[in-house]
Amino acid sequence: MGATGLDELAASLISAIERGFEAAHFETLALELFALQYERNPAYRALCAASRATPGSVRDWTQIPHAPAAAFKELELTSLAPEQRTHVFHSSGTTGQRCSRHVHGSRSLALYEASLLASFEPHLLPESRGARDVRIVALTPAPSEAPHSSLAHMLERVMSRFGGEGSCFVGRVDSGGAWQVDPARLWTQLNAEEGAAGGARPVVMLGTAFGLVHLCDGLRELGLALELPPGSRVMETGGYKGRSRELDPEDLHRLVADTLGVGREWIVREYGMSELSSQAYDRRAGESGAGGRFHFPAWARARAISPETGRECAPGVPGLLRVWDLANVYSVAVLQTEDRVVADGAGFRVLGRAQTVEPRGCSLMSP
Amino acid sequence: MSRVVLPNYFLADLPAEAVIRGELVAEACLTLKRNRERFLQTRSTESILQILLETARAWQGPQSVWRAMALEEGPARTGFSREMIALGLDAYFKLWTARQLNALLQQEFAHPQRVDRLVANDSESLGGLTSRVRGPELLVHVTAGRLPTPVFTALLHGLLVKSAQFVKCASGGSFFARLFAHSLREIEPKIASCLEIAEWKGGTRDLEEALYAGADCVVASGSDATMDAVRATVPSRVRFLAHGHRVSAAYIAREMLGSDEEPNVTAAAAMDVAMWDQLGCLSPHVIFVEQGGMLAPEGFAARLADELERVEARWPRGTPAPEVSDAVFRRREFYRVRAAADPGTQCWFSRDSTAWSVVYEGDPQFQLSCLNRFVIVKPVETVEECLRQAEAQRTRWSTVGLAASGLRIPELAQRFAEWGITRICPLGRMQHPPLTWRHDGRPVLGDLVTWAQQELPWES
Repeated sequence: MGATGLDELAASLISAIERGFEAAHFETLALELFALQYERNPAYRALCAASRATPGSVRDWTQIPHAPAAAFKELELTSLAPEQRTHVFHSSGTTGQRCSRHVHGSRSLALYEASLLASFEPHLLPESRGARDVRIVALTPAPSEAPHSSLAHMLERVMSRFGGEGSCFVGRVDSGGAWQVDPARLWTQLNAEEGAAGGARPVVMLGTAFGLVHLCDGLRELGLALELPPGSRVMETGGYKGRSRELDPEDLHRLVADTLGVGREWIVREYGMSELSSQAYDRRAGESGAGGRFHFPAWARARAISPETGRECAPGVPGLLRVWDLANVYSVAVLQTEDRVVADGAGFRVLGRAQTVEPRGCSLMSP
Repeated sequence: MSRVVLPNYFLADLPAEAVIRGELVAEACLTLKRNRERFLQTRSTESILQILLETARAWQGPQSVWRAMALEEGPARTGFSREMIALGLDAYFKLWTARQLNALLQQEFAHPQRVDRLVANDSESLGGLTSRVRGPELLVHVTAGRLPTPVFTALLHGLLVKSAQFVKCASGGSFFARLFAHSLREIEPKIASCLEIAEWKGGTRDLEEALYAGADCVVASGSDATMDAVRATVPSRVRFLAHGHRVSAAYIAREMLGSDEEPNVTAAAAMDVAMWDQLGCLSPHVIFVEQGGMLAPEGFAARLADELERVEARWPRGTPAPEVSDAVFRRREFYRVRAAADPGTQCWFSRDSTAWSVVYEGDPQFQLSCLNRFVIVKPVETVEECLRQAEAQRTRWSTVGLAASGLRIPELAQRFAEWGITRICPLGRMQHPPLTWRHDGRPVLGDLVTWAQQELPWES
């Protein structure tokens, strides 16, 4: 692509994504991006030094040094100058430790948006490409209430591109900082619109797993059911982090089907992280099959890494997910997560978070 | 050597699919107490010592079938390497000598026949007293983890006080206890009839209620949460002895580095880290190294890494469970990031595996390791600084492995003991406590027994 700097690379990546990214360009672009990040991102360069990797020594995209996602807690992993930084996304940590900080500016957010929209549309709106009047209900708070949430930002961008009448955020941040959904209000709102519009505009409901559990449990407690109109769909993202009862994906999807009337094949799971700029999805809405196998778009790749050897696992062997996300131009493209997955070249299944192990010592293991 | 098949004798011998019920546990408790009355209570301490010594002999040497079985099946069942099991068992059974056993009885009871009958030692004779001790009828052990040595020692304690014993192992953790109980059975079946070994998942209510209802004393080790859970289930009339979460660390004085002693000190430190893959509460999380020696603490860390690599070649770390690999990987990533940002942090990691890891961190605060041969080296100016930095672990610090000159050892040992550490031992012996070791600083046998004391009639 011949980009000479990060800005040029970001601009050409945006246009490549919008034209339809060609997988054949991935490797060259990844190496080019590595060279630039090595040069412009001092914290990342220091990490590379520990593994003695330089743009001169790395020959293959798989050898590009990674940053642990947890490093976003400790280091300023950005090549944006302080005056360019307009947004920072925090991870919603489970541990109560320092939270992860992914810094953004206008250019990085433009890239984020291009990546997001280009993969959201084919997965959530496959049969209505180009639609601009979708009724989108986000179970998260709006970005004004949750300014450091990458998810709220993501859903706001989706809404502003595809959303039509009746689109809204129905989540609230309570006094303790936790996200809540008011099921009665949502029920009234959806039913009122139903009456006014004379029926059947499908709903695209977007939320976290715990938000969906809050909603479904809440509706059930009130003895209410929400039969969403035909063609409605749900995007479920993220884990629970102790914020609701935890369900297996199967059980969650049964609950959603029973309470909202949205069938299995219309529930799309999304895998994303505040430290990434691209997302993976497990199906196109309406597609049959069991789901649960995530795919990134062509400008991002996923591999399972053996914690023992630090190298890629053989296909089918569980390891820890590493993501190469070219849309992370201004931070670090290669991220090591703590999610246990089984991967092959085409996709991955999430098995769970890496355990915080209690050592099996004579004094430590529970009997 | 032909493969030995253990007969079904203990509950833990039953196939995995066998379901144990509360009634079965209650019945086992009754049988154990009956057998104790017939076979153990009347037996002399001398005869019990002979059986223990014979058992220890049966576990030693290349011809030992028990050792062979432990080496053959142990790796798959316990996660330790064959070489590690061999090293650990050989070192352990060497401690079972007549001298050590007598020393233990002397330390605890001040008389070798104290468990047999009313006796008097010199001071008691002067005071006109005789006394004896009685152990619990049924002693229950709740064990954690897969290390063999704690459970062997626990069984030895119970036999010395002539108790019937029920060992409740963590699920998947009964292998060594079973093997040991079978070895006793071959030497003296009557004594083995006073033992039961079982495993189930901790918290299985009906089994544990039946077990504790039949017990006179329960000794448990495990996490603090487990201790609380067991404590809540044990009836108040039953004595409950808890050994909760403990940690250990080593301390190396500056004069030991750069001297002729340095290679021995480094080798001893590496063995303390490697022994039983660092999975005991006696293994060091941290090695504190005094600054000002000929070799700086970070130089020591580098040599320790070389030594751990040599140790790995000879006594490899066992096959790690996935969650262990993940934990070590995460810790390594954490320190790799820290090292990139802070020149005071350095890392040495085994290649192509998580077999061993050494981190040098300039910040001297006591830091818990993820164990599994992952050790953190920290510089300190003085022992006082070390203790200040360990304040948060004060109630948990069990053992300090100490390397210092003969001149300084007494002063350092006094200071550690005064501060609250309950065991001070030479570096290299952290995982090899003598039989007289007071776990958590408590009496070894003394907490198990009750005394009966007779005041002799006045001589006219």
